[in-house]
Amino acid sequence: MARSWRNFFRKTEEPEQEAVQPAEEVEAPDSAEDVPVAEEVQARQEIPQATKVLEEEAAEESEIEEPGVLPEPDVVEEAPDEEAAAEEQEAGSGGWFGRLRTGLRRSRESVVGQLNAAIAEFRDTEDEEFWERVEEILISSDVGVKTTGKLVGELEQEALEQNITSGEQLRRLMVEHAERMLEGPVELDVSHKPTVILMVGVNGTGKTTTIGKLVNFLPGKAMLAAGDTFRAAAIEQLQRWGERVGAPVIARERGADSAAVAHDAVEAAKRDGADVLLIDTAGRLHTKVNLMAELEKVRRVIERQLPGAPHEVLLTVDATTGQNGLRQAKMFNEVVNLTGIILTKLDGTAKGGIALAIANEIGVPIKLISVGEQVGDLHPFDAREFAEALFGEL
Amino acid sequence: MFDTLGERLNSALDGVRGSGNLTEDGVKKVTREIRLALLEADVNYGVVKEFVGNVRERATGAEVSKALSPGQQVVKIVNEELANLMGGTAHKLSFASRPPTVVMLAGLNGHGKTTTAGKLALFVRKLGKNPYLIACDTYRPAAIEQLQQIGKELSVPVYTEGTEAKPEEIAERGVRKAREEGYDFVIVDTAGRQVLDMDMMEEIKRVRSATKPHNVLLVLDVVTGQNAVDVAKAFQEYADFDGMVLTKLDGDARGGAALSVVSVTERPVRFASEGEKMSEFDYFYPDRMAGRILGMGDVMSLIEKAEAQVDRKEAEAQSKKLMSGRFTFEDFLQQMQMLKKMGPLSSLIGMIPGMNKQLQGANLNDLDDKALGRVEAMITSMTVDERRNPKLLQNPSRARRIARGSGSTQQDVQKLVKQFGEMQKMMRQMGKGGMPKRMPRMPFKT
Repeated sequence: MARSWRNFFRKTEEPEQEAVQPAEEVEAPDSAEDVPVAEEVQARQEIPQATKVLEEEAAEESEIEEPGVLPEPDVVEEAPDEEAAAEEQEAGSGGWFGRLRTGLRRSRESVVGQLNAAIAEFRDTEDEEFWERVEEILISSDVGVKTTGKLVGELEQEALEQNITSGEQLRRLMVEHAERMLEGPVELDVSHKPTVILMVGVNGTGKTTTIGKLVNFLPGKAMLAAGDTFRAAAIEQLQRWGERVGAPVIARERGADSAAVAHDAVEAAKRDGADVLLIDTAGRLHTKVNLMAELEKVRRVIERQLPGAPHEVLLTVDATTGQNGLRQAKMFNEVVNLTGIILTKLDGTAKGGIALAIANEIGVPIKLISVGEQVGDLHPFDAREFAEALFGEL
Repeated sequence: MFDTLGERLNSALDGVRGSGNLTEDGVKKVTREIRLALLEADVNYGVVKEFVGNVRERATGAEVSKALSPGQQVVKIVNEELANLMGGTAHKLSFASRPPTVVMLAGLNGHGKTTTAGKLALFVRKLGKNPYLIACDTYRPAAIEQLQQIGKELSVPVYTEGTEAKPEEIAERGVRKAREEGYDFVIVDTAGRQVLDMDMMEEIKRVRSATKPHNVLLVLDVVTGQNAVDVAKAFQEYADFDGMVLTKLDGDARGGAALSVVSVTERPVRFASEGEKMSEFDYFYPDRMAGRILGMGDVMSLIEKAEAQVDRKEAEAQSKKLMSGRFTFEDFLQQMQMLKKMGPLSSLIGMIPGMNKQLQGANLNDLDDKALGRVEAMITSMTVDERRNPKLLQNPSRARRIARGSGSTQQDVQKLVKQFGEMQKMMRQMGKGGMPKRMPRMPFKT
C-alpha cells in the first residue's frame, strides 16, 4: 500500500517555473490590510535533515523487501534529531507494515477470503457466477458500481483474449488492472522556494493531523499556517503539532479570515526563507457554496502573493467514505484544482476502494496514505501494493 | 444519476405495461435498477441482497394498481420496506428517573463526536435540562480545548483532567461531580477510534462500565461506505450502543450506511446533525430518509396522493381526449378539481424530485391557487352548452353574464376563452406529435 519516501519529493526546479518569481510586491488582500502581523509560534528550529533521513531509509530498504521480518522498518524512528517522531513511534511497535497487515487482516479476511474461494472455484471465463462474485467483492470495498463495471468488463475481456484458465493467473490480472487504474504521478513537488502546499477536505477527514505527520518528512525548513479559523481549537491542534516538530505556526485568532492567514503565512515564508509552507484550512462540505467560494479565495490570495503557488493542493479523503468520496473529489477539484489525494484512516475496516473510483472517474492521483495515528503511519502511495492489498493473497 | 431512478424504472418496465399483474420478468428488471440505486447510495452489499430479495417476493404477482404505473408501484413497495426497516417514527430520548441522565458518545475518528456533544447539550437544554460535558479524548491534540471552547460558547460546564489521566477515570469522576453539583444531563465525549484497535475498543468498554450510561450513541458520518456494517458490529460489541447520531447530513451523501447499520444492529437512528451551527441538530425522522437513500425526493407522498385521488383509467381517457383536441371546459374543470384534491400546487411541485431546485427563484405565478379558483368560478358559471362549445362565449352578452356570475370582469372571461382556444390548438399539435414553437399561456395565469 505504500512505498518509501525516497524520491517522493521532487526537488529539481523546472526551468519555466524559475521565471515566475514575483517581480514586485503584490498587494495584500483587502481583509489583510492594516492588520498586525500574525502571531508566530517560534518553537524549536531543529528541522529534520532531509538528506539524513533519506540515507537512513536507503540503508533499510533491503530489509523492507522481506515482509514479516520487519523489526522496525520505519525511517523516522532513527532520524537523528527527530525526537517527537521517535516518541510517537515507540507507541506503535512492529513497524507500520506489520501493523497494517494485522490491522487489515480482519477486514481483508472476509473480502480476500471470498476472493480466494471464488478463485478456487474459477472454471472458465464464461462463468457468470464467478464474475458476479468479483463484482460483489469490488462493491464491498467501496469501488462503486461504475468503476466496478468497468474493471470487471476489462478483466472479462482480457481473460477471454488471453485464454486464462487458472484462478491465480486471473488474480494477477486483477492486480495489474487495478494498479494501472491507480497509477499516477505520486511525488510531491517541493522544488520551489518556498513551496506552498494547501490542504483541503471535508470536515473530519484528517487535514490537520496529516499536516502534523507530513511536516516530519518534508525536506528543509517547514512552516505551518493555521487556516482553519472556524472549528473550535483547530488552531491549538496545529500549534501542538508545530511544537512537536519545531516548525513555526502562523496563526490569527479564531474567526479571522482564512485568506488573511494564508496571506500572512506566504509573506512569512518568503521573509524567513522557509522551504515548505503547509497551509491548513477548515473542513467544509463540498456542497456549501459559500464555503467553497471562501476556499477559492484562499487559493487566489496565495497565488497573488506567490505566482505559481500553491504548488500542491491536497485533498484528504477518509478511507471509510463511500461513493460520496467521488463527489468530494470532483467538487474540490473544480474549485481549487487538486494535485493529489491523501487517503486517511486506512487502519480501519475500510478497504479504501473509493481510491479506485476517484482515480478512474476524477483522474486525480493518490499521493499519500495514512494507516494509523502515529507520525510514521503516513506513507507515499504505491499503486501496486494497494492493488495487492485489495486482491492479493493474505 | 440520482434523480433518474424513476426514469430508469419506467424504461425498465416499458415492455411490461398493460399486463394485469406485475410479471416476474418485469419485477426482475425493476429490482435490478433498485439494487444499483441502493449500492450507489452505499447500502452494504449484503443488506442490499437481502432487501431486494424481500421486495422481489412481495412485488411479484401483486395486482396492478389503477392509479400507479408498475414502476411506481414497485417503488412504493420498496419505500414501505425501507420505512419498516428504519422504524416508522422518531426515537426520542428518555431521561433517567433518577438524574443525572448519562449519555456516552462513541465513534470513529472525525465523524463528529465532539461537535455532537455540544449540539446535544444545547438540544437538551432547550428541553429544560441542565447539561454537563465531560472531555475524555486524551489523544487527539487539542481535543479537550475544542470541547472547552464549545462549552464556553454555550455556557455549559466542561469537566477535564488534561491528557494524563485514564479516560474511564476522568469519566467516572466527571459523572460524580455532575451529580454533586446538581446537573441532570451528562454527556461523555470520547476519543475517536478505529474498530481494529483492540486497546482502544477495550478502553471504550471500560468507559462504559465506569459511567453506566443510560444511552450510548454511535456517532456516524453519513458518508460512510460499505464498512459501516463492520464498524457498527464492533461498536455494538464493545460499547453496546442503543442508538445512532447521523452527522453531516447537510452534504449530498445519500446515507445508505444508516440503512446498513440499522438493519444489522437493529438500533435506530436517534438524531440527525446537519450543519455547522450548534443549533442544527434534531430528532431523526426515519420516513424522510427512505427517499434520500433512493434518491427520489419525497416522491412517495406524491405517489400516495395520486393513488388516493386519481383513477388511472380515467386519467388515461382524459389525456387521450386532451391530445385529440376535443378537450372542453368540462374536462378542464374536472382536471382542476382533481389537482386541487392533491393539495396546493406549490407543494406538489416540491415533491417532484429535482423540481425543487429548478424552481428556486422561479416565478410561481403560474401556479397561483387563487387564480385557479377564479378560473373555476368562471367555468362553473357557464352553461353546459358553453362548456362543451367554447365558441359560444365569443358572444359578449354570454361573457358578461359569466363575469357577473363569477365575480370577475368581462375581460377576464374573454382572456380565459382565448387562452383556452390556444391551449386546445397546442394540445392538438402535440397529439399529432409536433411540439408547438411557443407555449401558450395557461388559462389560469392571471
